[in-house]
Amino acid sequence: MNKEIEKLLFNPIRLKTVSFLMTVETCNFKALLDVTESTKGNLSIQLKKLNEADLIKIEKYFQKSYPTTDYSITKKGRTSFEDFFKQLQSYKNE
Amino acid sequence: MTKEEQLSIINDAIRQTKNNLKPLGFNLVFWGVLINFMSLFHYFFPSIVQFSYYSSTIYWVSIPLLGMIYTTYYNINSGNKIGYETQLSRVIRIIWGVFGIAWISIVGISVYSRINPVQDVLFLLALVLIMSGSIIKFKQVTLGGVGLLIFTLYNYYSPEIHLLLVNVIGITFGMLIPGLALYFQNKNE
Repeated sequence: MNKEIEKLLFNPIRLKTVSFLMTVETCNFKALLDVTESTKGNLSIQLKKLNEADLIKIEKYFQKSYPTTDYSITKKGRTSFEDFFKQLQSYKNE
Repeated sequence: MTKEEQLSIINDAIRQTKNNLKPLGFNLVFWGVLINFMSLFHYFFPSIVQFSYYSSTIYWVSIPLLGMIYTTYYNINSGNKIGYETQLSRVIRIIWGVFGIAWISIVGISVYSRINPVQDVLFLLALVLIMSGSIIKFKQVTLGGVGLLIFTLYNYYSPEIHLLLVNVIGITFGMLIPGLALYFQNKNE
């Protein structure tokens, strides 16, 4: 598996984020804050890193004149997470 | 971070995703109450609802349209509060969205053809309830749909029952009771 992806998912906040996004279609920032139990600033930084690695997609739009952001997993993110999970399980079974 | 810790983090994150079905329960209860109230009002006060040629059509189109606007607003708000959408809730949203479009089409065609849309709408509603109940694995909704389907099919061949009362019975057993069960089950979780 790509070492860069492995390194990215080594961070617990990023791993929680990607794991959660694997189970939902889309989610907002507040839901990710609840799941990761992180601070707003830290979560924003980690989300930016995941987005730069093309693991997650960030969509910004206006709802009732308020800026809203939706997060979802990309095809690359899904494949990378599946590979990462398989690798973890194989370590566990050894 | 060890491999075990990583697996534990993944498990915890996945466990936090819940399929929140309370909004679906609310929608079923809302429409159950609204349609029953409208049917009973029409049944007991026909002179008010049918005071002119198009008044009953206006009555049966305008109030449900307002209901649709309200439930759309409610669904957007509850979606924002939950904060995420699962694949299951997306499927349910699409199914009921298609039902809404089909309902408007049936009413439109019925007005044009001068036929009563009650049986066709109830037939479609029964199918959507069976689909929704099977997808969310909630027996009361599926059984409500099956009961409504049997009742609607029976009614096609026994047209002597007043269609407004058919509406009340069908909606009560197909929507209101399963909706209440779904709403309170999710409220207690």
